[in-house]
Amino acid sequence: MISLRRKKSILAAVAVTSFALVASAVPANAEVGVSSTEIKLGTTVPMTGIAAPGYSKVAPAMKAYFEYINDNGGVYGRKINLVIKDDRYIPQEAINKTNELILKDKVFALVGQLGTANHLAVTSKVRIASRNIPSLFLNTGYSGFADVKKFKTSFMHFPTYVAEAKILSSYIKENFTGKKTCLLVQNDEFGADAEKGFATAGLTFDETVKYVSGTQSATTAQTWITRFAGAKCEVVVLFSVSSATAAALGVASAAGYKPQWILGSVGADSTTLKIALNNPQAQALLNGAIGVSFMPDALDTTDEYVKLFREVNTKYSPGVDFDTNVLVGMNAAMLTVQALRAAGQNPTRRSLIAAMESKGSTFASAAYGNLAVSRTSRAGFTGYWFGKFNLAGALIPLDAGRTVYTTDSATGPVTKASAKRAALPAKGIPTNS
Amino acid sequence: MHKLSTKKAFIAYFAFGWLLLIVADRVDELRVYQGATIAVTTLAIASIILLTGYSGQVSLGQGAFLAVGAYAAALSQTYWQSPFWFTLLIAILVSAAFGFILAFAAGRMSGPYLAGTTLALAVGLPTLANQFSFLGGETGLVYDAGLPPERFGEEFTLYKWFFWIAAFVVLIAMFLLRNLLNSRFGRTWKALRANSTAASLCGVNVAQSKITAFTISAGVAGLAGALLGMVSIVAPSAFPLSLSFTIITGAILAGVTSLLGSMLGAVILVVIPEIADVIAHQLGDSEKITTNLPGFIVSVLLILTVLFSPNGPAEAMRKRKEQHAKH
Repeated sequence: MISLRRKKSILAAVAVTSFALVASAVPANAEVGVSSTEIKLGTTVPMTGIAAPGYSKVAPAMKAYFEYINDNGGVYGRKINLVIKDDRYIPQEAINKTNELILKDKVFALVGQLGTANHLAVTSKVRIASRNIPSLFLNTGYSGFADVKKFKTSFMHFPTYVAEAKILSSYIKENFTGKKTCLLVQNDEFGADAEKGFATAGLTFDETVKYVSGTQSATTAQTWITRFAGAKCEVVVLFSVSSATAAALGVASAAGYKPQWILGSVGADSTTLKIALNNPQAQALLNGAIGVSFMPDALDTTDEYVKLFREVNTKYSPGVDFDTNVLVGMNAAMLTVQALRAAGQNPTRRSLIAAMESKGSTFASAAYGNLAVSRTSRAGFTGYWFGKFNLAGALIPLDAGRTVYTTDSATGPVTKASAKRAALPAKGIPTNS
Repeated sequence: MHKLSTKKAFIAYFAFGWLLLIVADRVDELRVYQGATIAVTTLAIASIILLTGYSGQVSLGQGAFLAVGAYAAALSQTYWQSPFWFTLLIAILVSAAFGFILAFAAGRMSGPYLAGTTLALAVGLPTLANQFSFLGGETGLVYDAGLPPERFGEEFTLYKWFFWIAAFVVLIAMFLLRNLLNSRFGRTWKALRANSTAASLCGVNVAQSKITAFTISAGVAGLAGALLGMVSIVAPSAFPLSLSFTIITGAILAGVTSLLGSMLGAVILVVIPEIADVIAHQLGDSEKITTNLPGFIVSVLLILTVLFSPNGPAEAMRKRKEQHAKH
């Protein structure tokens, strides 16, 4: 026979369970993540872990720009709330944190995530495409993400690595023919994309070193530099993430190895260099290296976008050094505001995607050139300019006119871009519709 | 202790399965996703309970067996287009075969030596994926349970489908394990754990019994790995060293001798990050607190369990009941 105390316990358990079931059955809002006062967005980035130096500044920079917009009326009166989750640059963590953003925080859209492997994992397992969840301005250049059939709700920010490698190849072939040329790449889609671009452009390397993502350190860099020096490489292309580039430059400097460095846009970051090598003057290691960029240099205070973003950074992220990572974050945030405005007074996930497709290529941005996004492509920017790093770590254009080169991710030729950059919206606050 | 007959146990498992499906239909998608994670973790913990709690062998690298199962399932799907259900069978067979080979080494080792060997395996094995391109590198392999049948309707979400599959497979596996542990095998393993010399004198073939336990445990872990691959990804990052420690922690919290306790351990492991999230929010959403608090809570619970209830709360409750019954 059941005792009275036990009966009470059972009744209490039934009551709690019933309440939980009823409470969970309450219908959701009309559009997830959008209320009359707020638009909730989410992002996963490496805030801790091996890729955190440098990259951990991207999402807070986005948040700082959103706060600037919120203080100036928000988007049609709604404030933007960016939820940042730390994925430690690990695909499994990116899945977990993206699930949290979608299921728990109930964000309207994802924005500004980092990392090729991470986003591949998220699209494959969280299936944001079939659930119609927009993922705006991915900070990766993997060319596969431009495929609208596979990634219909994902939109790129960076130009593709294939295009970057093709543009770098044209420069190397023009200026360093006959020199021993070598390459450092990551052993994943990021590196494979770059190798595809170099191969398409017909550039071959005397020595290619591949490293596994997450293993980059001074110890592993010792092996890379030994191989480059052993092969007597005169020109070395570092198509690697910032922490790997920093490790390579640090070890080479200590060993007295001085080839002509050519740096991919992803890894040429003076902040990471200083943190990774624990040397506040480490940016000097970049001196003389050739680099490419689709954005203005973060130290170029004559650029109107850089000037505005620096002011926002000073006010909303006091104490944070303005660098390429902050510039990229704020640029993605400015693009996001334009996308939200273009999606209408009462944005839905469908209207946001439609707005990206129809109006994305007209959005103002610090990048040289327009987004290549359309109904048939999810590509980001397409133009690069060449520069040489100085002692302060600034990338100075090789020519006074800052010639911008462009190409596609297929077999198209490298040409000079004709599109002009859109002017900065007044006070950096978009008013598009 | 009174045990249910096989028939009654089958009815109990069946009823519990029905209850799970009803609840899954009424809770939101986050809870359903967590439910699928709990199911997979339950099976992984059960594989440790079988190995350590029953046969007395210590494995610190159970994550490696999960990885073998997941990769075997994903490879069979990627390269041979095997049906999903068949890939689960492949996962069991390949990881069991892997465990069988390792068991020969395990048969010659015990205590810290065996723990060290399995630990080395958990450290080294997932990184192999970066050395062989057919294993998919850091991005890993695509492993997919497919979309839910259309007849379930549009409201039937992908995570509910994952939960159904995971819950169904885990309930069957747990029922079979329960019967196995109540059979001659279970009694033999218990004898081994209590005193291998005494068991040997009673006619138990110690080496063979250990190999059998290790093989079955690896097979169960492999199945858990395939289900984990279904819910998340089949890539090195899905099988870090911390996964092995998490499984052991769950087993200790549940009580290493209680098969049903594995579910409790899995629930605790999934609920702790939720609790940590609430506390971190109260403390101002600091990134360091959010990242480190779950590990801190698990560590504190682990220490408290070992200090006050070394055989787990389930075992402690059972003993208390027995004492009450005596009085």
